[in-house]
Amino acid sequence: MRRSIFTHITVLSAALSAALLLGLWWVTDRTIDETIAASLAEGVDVDLAGLVDIHASGGADELARRIDDRLAVMPKDGARAHYLLIDGEGVRIAGDLAAWPDLDPAISERGPIRIGQQTRAEARATMLAGNLRLLVAHEPVGRGALLSRVGLVFVLGGAVFVACIALFAQVAGARVRHRVASVGAAFRNGDDQALAALATAERKDEIDEIARQAALALERDRQLMTAYRETSEQVAHEIRTPLSHLDARLVKALAASNNRQAGDHLVAARGDIRRLVGTLEALLDIAASKAHRGQRKGLRPVDLSALTRGICELYQDTAEDAGYAFSWDIAPDITLPGDEAQLGRVVTNLLDNAFKYNRPGGTIRVVLEPGPRLSIADNGPGIAPADRTRVFERFYRGNAVTGGDQPGAGLGLALAQAIAQRHGLVLKLLPSEPGAHFILLPEEG
Amino acid sequence: MKVLYIEDDPRAAAELCELGWQQGDIIAVETDGQSGLRRAGIEAFDVIIMDRMLGDSDGLALVARLRDSGVSTPVLMLSALGRTSDRAEGLEAGADDYLAKPFEALELLARIRALHRRASGREHSAVILYGAFECHVKARTAFRSNRHLALSPREFELFRYFMENAGEVITREMLLFDVWNMAFDPQTNVVDVNIGRLRRKLEEGFDSPALETVWGSGYRLLEGRAEPRTEDQAP
Repeated sequence: MRRSIFTHITVLSAALSAALLLGLWWVTDRTIDETIAASLAEGVDVDLAGLVDIHASGGADELARRIDDRLAVMPKDGARAHYLLIDGEGVRIAGDLAAWPDLDPAISERGPIRIGQQTRAEARATMLAGNLRLLVAHEPVGRGALLSRVGLVFVLGGAVFVACIALFAQVAGARVRHRVASVGAAFRNGDDQALAALATAERKDEIDEIARQAALALERDRQLMTAYRETSEQVAHEIRTPLSHLDARLVKALAASNNRQAGDHLVAARGDIRRLVGTLEALLDIAASKAHRGQRKGLRPVDLSALTRGICELYQDTAEDAGYAFSWDIAPDITLPGDEAQLGRVVTNLLDNAFKYNRPGGTIRVVLEPGPRLSIADNGPGIAPADRTRVFERFYRGNAVTGGDQPGAGLGLALAQAIAQRHGLVLKLLPSEPGAHFILLPEEG
Repeated sequence: MKVLYIEDDPRAAAELCELGWQQGDIIAVETDGQSGLRRAGIEAFDVIIMDRMLGDSDGLALVARLRDSGVSTPVLMLSALGRTSDRAEGLEAGADDYLAKPFEALELLARIRALHRRASGREHSAVILYGAFECHVKARTAFRSNRHLALSPREFELFRYFMENAGEVITREMLLFDVWNMAFDPQTNVVDVNIGRLRRKLEEGFDSPALETVWGSGYRLLEGRAEPRTEDQAP
């Protein structure tokens, strides 16, 4: 299944924005903690400074009363304050703490202390006149409620934010996808008007530029194809026309000749002309097939099953005359987009080979399976290992095993391969002993 | 039969005029596309032969214009472009038949007569008779001198083609293309073998030959009556 780059971008955008939100939440959480801690310390210092002032102005008894007053008040936010006032002997004068914590009042030390088993508080100790020691501790304000509120804002706001990002990516992606799809369709369908519009479009953005460059490349390709076609037509015309005149002369000579031997030579000469024309056509067909490789334009649905069966039936009598055991097993209704005459030529060339290079009493087996996968195997002398890689080359005629006395210009398999590749297929020679085993199957990828 | 030949190569035109035309056949030659188009429009012809690559115009465009202007005279396109795709292009442009150079004179004549026959409505009926032969097209049965011939379906198609072109020389190319839909000649002897099989079926039990091999050209169906047996020669 093809995966859309735009779906990837949408998913990545949503994931990235969610990750950024999480990071932002972590930073916010830390900041809230630090702010609460700073605020707590400041509250302790302010409380302590107030009590120091009271001691300075009212003495120890006044201080003890005020401490008792403060302990009697329960704050609304639940963040209770704790106090301890002791004399030089360590005897408690006022406050609710049972023991002096590990804080040095001589240096007005500040730090966290534990109150009971669970509660932690921020505290500062200090020395007062008369060798008194005062400790003020505040429990932190409950941060849960604050964090819940901020967290809710983050969750709701974050969801909306991620959804907006995903929606934006989706809409933007859909627009770009639509443009890319229309460019792709213009190339795929070979729509001349649309391609010309792409080639001449003003360069607005990167997609326009890519489409324009691709359309220009295609235009150059088409010009090359036109030049190729014109040249091959001229070559064909300039060779076939004089050959046609030559043939006409031979026909006249044949009509005027009473000499059977001379007549045989004239007939053979006409055969040479036809073979020369056949070679020329095969070369042009190879070139045309290679030039059109990968293009689907001009291909129509071809019933490969019916085509192969018809050709096999045509060869049946030849097999009987030659004494070959010729059999075929053809799966029905195998179709592919193609050029029927050219595909017929592939099957015929392979069968020709199997018939030409066989031995009396030999077997020839044709199998067509869905895929398509066409297999044509014989048990003739086969193809020498050294020749196997070269059998699809033009003008290559192996003579190690196949024998060099068979007619043909050595273009049959090269043409069959070129036609196969023009149809997105490939022709392979399988290692087999004895005989030759060719298969035609879709190109990989 | 009145034939218009549009050909810019005077030598090719001369060669065509020298072919074995029948008494009374008229061959008019025009040496460029425009003149040919004009003449085809004002004069009635039975068949038009047109070269595909004319100096002043493309034969494909010309035949399309001919059809657009309402001229329905059958057109046989002659061309130095003989690949399968070239032939398909010619037929798609509006030509009724296509023959590549160099061609067999007898094949050209046979094709022109077949075109003329089709255009004049003298299409073959359900039963084709020729000499001692009968071909029942719908029933797909064949007889020689009232004796049933046991032909396979493939042999019947071949026999029917010979009957449809009775008396004409049939080339290998015609058989390959018209009967077996093959635009090229296989290197193996499938044509000869199939002809040989048909010949044996047609001649079995008869003293006179049924299929004649025409030296250097092709094959011809004989009337199958009491002609003396002659030795066949390779084409």
